[in-house]
Amino acid sequence: MTSSPAFARNLSSRVGPNAVLAAEGASVDRVAARAVVRPADRQQLSEVIRWATADGVRLYPRGGGVLSSLGNLPAQVDVILDLSGLNRIMDYQPADLTVTTEAGITLAALRRELVQGDKYVPLEAPRPDRATVGGILATGFSGPLRFSYGLPRDWTIGISVAGSDGSEARAGGRVVKNVTGYDLNKLYTGSLGTLGVIVEASFKLAPIQGTWAALAAPFPSISGAVAAAGALISQVYAPQGLQVVSRNIAARLGLDVPGDSGAVALAFISGRPRAASRRLEESARQLEAGGSPGGETLDESAATDLLARLTDLPWREEDLPFLALKVTLPPSNVGSLVAAMELPAGAGLIADPGFGTVHLLWWPPAEVGEPETDATLDLIDSARRNARNLGGAVAVEVCPPRIKAGADVWEGSVGEAELEIMRRIKRNFDPAGIFNPGRFVGRL
Amino acid sequence: MIFHPEDLLVYEYDGSVDRSMPRAVVLPANEDEVSRTLALAYREGVPVAGRGSGTGLSGGALAAPGGIQISFTRMNRILQVDTENRTATIEPGVINLDLDTHVRKFGMRYAPDPSSQKACSLGGNIAENAGGPHCLAYGTTTNHVLGMRVALEDGAMVNLGSGAREIPGYDLRGVFVGSEGTFGIATRITVRLLPLPETVKTFLGVFPDIDSACSAVSAVIGHGIVPAALEMIDALSIRAVQNVTDAGYPEDAGAVLLIELEGLWEEVDEVSREVESALWETGASDVRVAEEDSERERLWLGRKTAFGAFGTIAPNYYLVDGVVPRTRLTQVLRKVSEVSEKYGIIIANVFHAGDGNLHPCMLFDEREPGVKERAMAGAAELMEYCVEMGGSLSGEHGIGLEKKQFMPLVYTERDMDTMKLVRDAFAPANRLNPGKIFPDGESYEPALQRTPTQVDPGMYV
Repeated sequence: MTSSPAFARNLSSRVGPNAVLAAEGASVDRVAARAVVRPADRQQLSEVIRWATADGVRLYPRGGGVLSSLGNLPAQVDVILDLSGLNRIMDYQPADLTVTTEAGITLAALRRELVQGDKYVPLEAPRPDRATVGGILATGFSGPLRFSYGLPRDWTIGISVAGSDGSEARAGGRVVKNVTGYDLNKLYTGSLGTLGVIVEASFKLAPIQGTWAALAAPFPSISGAVAAAGALISQVYAPQGLQVVSRNIAARLGLDVPGDSGAVALAFISGRPRAASRRLEESARQLEAGGSPGGETLDESAATDLLARLTDLPWREEDLPFLALKVTLPPSNVGSLVAAMELPAGAGLIADPGFGTVHLLWWPPAEVGEPETDATLDLIDSARRNARNLGGAVAVEVCPPRIKAGADVWEGSVGEAELEIMRRIKRNFDPAGIFNPGRFVGRL
Repeated sequence: MIFHPEDLLVYEYDGSVDRSMPRAVVLPANEDEVSRTLALAYREGVPVAGRGSGTGLSGGALAAPGGIQISFTRMNRILQVDTENRTATIEPGVINLDLDTHVRKFGMRYAPDPSSQKACSLGGNIAENAGGPHCLAYGTTTNHVLGMRVALEDGAMVNLGSGAREIPGYDLRGVFVGSEGTFGIATRITVRLLPLPETVKTFLGVFPDIDSACSAVSAVIGHGIVPAALEMIDALSIRAVQNVTDAGYPEDAGAVLLIELEGLWEEVDEVSREVESALWETGASDVRVAEEDSERERLWLGRKTAFGAFGTIAPNYYLVDGVVPRTRLTQVLRKVSEVSEKYGIIIANVFHAGDGNLHPCMLFDEREPGVKERAMAGAAELMEYCVEMGGSLSGEHGIGLEKKQFMPLVYTERDMDTMKLVRDAFAPANRLNPGKIFPDGESYEPALQRTPTQVDPGMYV
């Protein structure tokens, strides 16, 4: 291995000194990077990739770095590829409800542009001022509104990805309905940068209309809250998003929780005013019928603020949980999972009974100190057993590298026959193994 | 199994203009028989095509030269309806409408509703990523498939997805849907169901000409309204429909729009008024509203029988499935009438205006020498124009055989090579539906051509 300065000099001579940033402190899961490259344009990105393929240099693509702890421990980080320079909006057609943008644009910047034409893109991300469209697509991130938004794959209509030879391959297009060729939008979305670098994407948009509001309804127990929320979500007046949070999570969100409550159901509601107010009233009534002593209504600004805090919660750098697990399972099993989970002191749950997602977030109390590795691995194992019994899978989204060293992030979550197809896809797309190697499912 | 030539005749074609005679058709009763058929064919080097109901419009179900078909008509059971998770698990031969009708008993529905939904199978819907009028609001088949068990080319079985909405790893289930039978054959399918809406309201907007109907489409979408469905039916199609059934379409109209709104009563009520004023403002001569199920069904009947009704104009049709940004509809429809004149082909238009998915339908009688070639040339010109307008070749019917030579209009060699990398991972020997989608690969030229012989005036064999 060449030393980092020599490596960086070699790199500068290839791609120009301006694109090579200081690597000091830059790392992936605390594995220090040998260099950070920020291509100014697609041409430069292509050069870097060609060089990396030729020399077997491992590239770790990064947008805003908000979700960059997701993935298995890398063995060696050659280059962090900072894509924030590729941030142009290529084409925005409000009347067609479509937008095409480079992947390095932040979600906040994209939203600002779209609002000019009264449209929005149904994507969510923590820290939208930093999180990029490319990062959202690569991680397949979904937030508290996933019940109505679905996943990023559901809104992506076209994509352009720089492959191992540095050139871009496109799939899909700029029309909202398209079966011309294989739907590679689906393949790239959620592939964690392992098949190439997402350079550009086109999205279907939705018209902005009406107002936002939220309802926070306390419940004596989390099981009761999940059952009531599950009953609400199947109604025609269901809210756009419904999350049940345990008491300690509610406190972290700054909600006022009555003393005898074990959990709070949060319903996020939007729509034209009359429909929204009916959703709000019916949701409140239904949750009360399910055992809530009565909720508090939040107006648009409070609701928007709460939604942002809830989305950010597991990913705030200054207050990262010691451990964050995401369980995905059939929606009707959320209640059983929540009942089966054993939570250590300081751990809480965020459950989405409409979509079938449960997050376990753990901030061990200061007086307990850092948990032991073995005890943590046992906790992860037990979550995996519970999830598997209920037709689900676990991803370890946040944890210290010492824990990751002993736990595969997606262990056992994909069957061998499927994994074999995934391995072949990875091999065919990235024969030199340069794209985010070692980090994804099955260490792809 | 079927192997006598006279029995195979009906398996020679689907809803498209291409033909290819299979060597044999296997009709398995269960997944194990599918797997064993594939394993045997794989050992013998025989290509395989899956076949649902054969309603496809791009040649997807046709057997490759020397190949066999696996027909799923016997695997047509609805295995489970899970009301709690709102899913249904079915065999691939289940007919789209049968599933929808069945789950409505539980207050739910299956959203994708291709025009052929009375006949087409869900296995075929998955292969083609089928659409339908209500995909405007709810997305196409791919947005509704949660999991599949799939038989690969060598007969190995693999599970793609599960009952969970989100699955770890590469989204194999997502990339499988719409792969036109080239990755594998789905043998067991779990789909997502939606609750029935509280209120449904259907509008018929009557317009003097196509241009004003197109501007109404833009006006509705421009108001920030995404209806559940937004369909356009042109004058020729109106006449064809009214020839066979009374759908209540005014026969002197230049075009009608069929618009459906769904949701909470309050939403539908408010949006209704906006839709109505958008229709009047863009020059509608009449706006009718149907709220009762029977009235709504009558309006939809016309839309759904249109392609059958074209039989009263000409015996053959070739359907173009181009899709364009919806603001380009006016331009593209003008081009359609130019093409009609230039090639001397009657073209009817019944299509999904709300998502810009055109269906110019070239009507002809293939016994007339040279007319099929003219129709195909006109179709090619239309596809090119759609791509030029920022659109694409196919919105919901697939590429198959009949559009594969046009793929280079949309994609570079590099793009297509990248797509093939995925196929090579699922089916390294390329034994499933070989020669489709991409312009290279085997030719499906039929081994023998049949010529019609007149037996009586107007009757041919």
